[in-house]
Amino acid sequence: MDREGLRQWWPPSRWMTLRWVGIRRVIQVLAFVGFLMLFIWSRRGGWPASLVNAPMRLDPLAMLAHLLASRTFLASSALALSVVLLTLVAGRVWCGWLCPLGTLLDWIPLRNWRRHQVQVPDGLRGVKYGLLLTILVAAIFTNLTLLVLDPLTILFRTLSTAVWPAVDQLVTAAETALYNIPLLQPAVAAFDARVRPVALPIEPVFYRYTLLYAGFFVAVVATNLLASRFWCRYLCPLGALLGLISKIGLVRRQVTHRCTECGACESVCPTGAIQRERSFTSDPGECTMCMACSAACPAEAIKFPAGAPAPRWRAYDPDRRHLLTALGASIAGVGLFGSNLLAARDHSRLIRPPGARENDLLNKCIRCGECNRACPTSAIQPAVSEAGLEGVWTPVLVPRAGYCDYSCNACGQVCPVQAIPPLSLEDKRRRVIGKAYIDENRCIAWADNEDCIVCEEMCPVPDKAIVLDETAVLDAEGSRVMVQRPTVIRERCIGCGICEYKCPVNGEAAIRVYVPPEECGDLSF
Amino acid sequence: MTEYTRRKFLRRAAVSLGLLTSGWLLPGCSGEELVTPFPSPTPVPPTPPAVATGEPSGDTAQPTVTSTPGETEVPRPTATPERSLAQPDLVVARGGEPEEMVRRALAALGGMEQFVKAGDHVVIKPNICVAYHSYEYAATTNPWVVGALVKLALEAGAGQVRVMDYPFGGSAEQAYVKSGIQEQVEKAGSQMETMTRFKFVDTEIPAGLDLQRCKIYDGVLKADVVIDVPIAKHHGLARLTLGMKNLMGVIYDRPAMHRNLGQRLADLSSRVRPTLTVVDAVRMLMDHGPTGGKLDDVKKADTIIASSDIVAADSYAATLFGLRPDELAYVRAGTEMGLGRGDLESLRIEEISVGG
Repeated sequence: MDREGLRQWWPPSRWMTLRWVGIRRVIQVLAFVGFLMLFIWSRRGGWPASLVNAPMRLDPLAMLAHLLASRTFLASSALALSVVLLTLVAGRVWCGWLCPLGTLLDWIPLRNWRRHQVQVPDGLRGVKYGLLLTILVAAIFTNLTLLVLDPLTILFRTLSTAVWPAVDQLVTAAETALYNIPLLQPAVAAFDARVRPVALPIEPVFYRYTLLYAGFFVAVVATNLLASRFWCRYLCPLGALLGLISKIGLVRRQVTHRCTECGACESVCPTGAIQRERSFTSDPGECTMCMACSAACPAEAIKFPAGAPAPRWRAYDPDRRHLLTALGASIAGVGLFGSNLLAARDHSRLIRPPGARENDLLNKCIRCGECNRACPTSAIQPAVSEAGLEGVWTPVLVPRAGYCDYSCNACGQVCPVQAIPPLSLEDKRRRVIGKAYIDENRCIAWADNEDCIVCEEMCPVPDKAIVLDETAVLDAEGSRVMVQRPTVIRERCIGCGICEYKCPVNGEAAIRVYVPPEECGDLSF
Repeated sequence: MTEYTRRKFLRRAAVSLGLLTSGWLLPGCSGEELVTPFPSPTPVPPTPPAVATGEPSGDTAQPTVTSTPGETEVPRPTATPERSLAQPDLVVARGGEPEEMVRRALAALGGMEQFVKAGDHVVIKPNICVAYHSYEYAATTNPWVVGALVKLALEAGAGQVRVMDYPFGGSAEQAYVKSGIQEQVEKAGSQMETMTRFKFVDTEIPAGLDLQRCKIYDGVLKADVVIDVPIAKHHGLARLTLGMKNLMGVIYDRPAMHRNLGQRLADLSSRVRPTLTVVDAVRMLMDHGPTGGKLDDVKKADTIIASSDIVAADSYAATLFGLRPDELAYVRAGTEMGLGRGDLESLRIEEISVGG
């Protein structure tokens, strides 16, 4: 093709719009990498907690719901106003340019896997508004359960409970295998010394139900099979909130008179926001400002000017019926959750992070998963059944997976909403999160009459909450032998769970931590 | 440009995988070498060693530890021939700054050059068992003791000095900082190493009576010189944690050690065989060990014990707590296995008062 031909095929003015798409892609990569870096570093404590948890504080949905449910305003949550402001100026830029889950859905379009063109009814777009309203109404009733559907919490939880442990397993397996080849040993050691301290755990990491988290995420991605960015179009409650705000936004997509009605824009729009029957205009509440349409437009008919006329309210936008349905659903849900026995009488293993139990965790926790990410031993895990459906994915300590490190107070520091209070290390060391009980039927010293003492050795309390009593017992031959038997001194135990974690008995430990006995709930007789 | 078809991709993947596995299997043919990559010229003989070691090997004026007749051959004989007859088996330095005590004690043993040769890879293993407290609480080895040993090793011409432990409470990174050891080690011109999972290799313990196999840290096995720097402290099961107990930090599956702990510690010591043991008793943790946390349990003793004989060092350290050496199960087991001598009366002990 000669120069002239090139100019005709690709007029210079077109570079401008293309450049915008290029800039958007770069920003998407940067935002995603930034999210990933903050994710990785939220484990190491190398960066300040207030920086590490910034993505969650940017999330206007989580911050608004927290404000409604906890009735407390945290100055640090005002960061979310920047996203609100951005949306007021330029529409759902968050969704198209910044949201890491949206970016991932762009990167995994599954376009070639879409065998049949499924016609998703446009009315389904109302689902996300319904979800949003349900979340906000429930938040007024102090319930935050449905924040598990916030895109940031979904991605963050998947990364921390499924992707990261699995990557560690694979990398370590590869390292172990390659380390057996003498020739490669220095290289493997150098690689590990460089990468592991930054990005991977020293001790292996275990989460319960990793398949559940991975499966949930795969399901979200798999909706791309039905339509590109299906999640963002129809389901995302954060997208719904930003969509509502962007209806009064300043900068909007506009189709000028140069439009030849070729339909090129309609076919590239990732959220299907462009409607042929409305002369290829789009609803700003559905448009993510990705500018793919203007790059695809052969007539350069698409502009993004400030102050374009406001669109008409669409059929799928929330109306009175939506509001009433959401209100009814939330109230019914709150009532049902409240009448669950677990709401009154705690699960005996509902061990909360330090300070959280006394802190009305359920009214505050936005389910973001920062605490289970920050926990250096992976003791903090998302609750699945311990807290009932209401408390699903709130933090719970699982001592068999990890222990509450006596030298750590990271969870309270990193929690963006102070659901886990930011305690000083001194204060945290005194917080009782549970009490340890010895199962004398399975304990090596009690049941097998053999010395073990691991629990006593590990106990970090300066006075030792576990003491050893030397007792004379009869062995199999009938002769007297001395054995050291552990006992828990109730008053000293803080419930950190290192005894349960390290107990050498297979399967369930012979010493276990349960919720503090005096705080089992509000059930009164 | 050639097209990269799926078939082509699969074929190449298969070939490279095949190459990789063959590279992995081939060195596997040489068998044991791979499992126990220990550079010592004289491997530990598998013969039962507990023969003539209970008695104090005849003449007390014959002070060389490693050439005691009948004793198990030490994999690395720490340059015994160069040591003069007047040199002590064990040195106790008292009453000075930690670094000064270490320097004087090592000088009395004939200098660090006795143990570290030019270019040697040296591993120093302090006790950094938890990340909970600073060194004043005596749960972790005194940072200046470790720092002094790093300096001495470097002065002796070591090619590389690495300091490491595998804490059981808190992360290594945290513990290194909290104990103050990282700071002193870096000041002394060396660095800490984080012990990573895959480097714990399945290792045979030929002389082991109870523990015959376990996963030991490769970096320690491969080191030319291992310096064991325990802090003297209380422990519920072992009674005291000293040099032999401190070696538990170089293995992976520690709960498995707790049954028959004394013998297993001796078995482990027979494989790791530190070249030098320096017991830090600048501060001693008298109770609530090994984690500690109360200053009331800490006794300032300003004492350093140094010996190339780990059993002797542990035996002497036991007396600081008012215990007889044979009250420690691992000292008994170590003596019986011929890892060293626990009979303090027959040892040539030099006591130095450093004075401050």
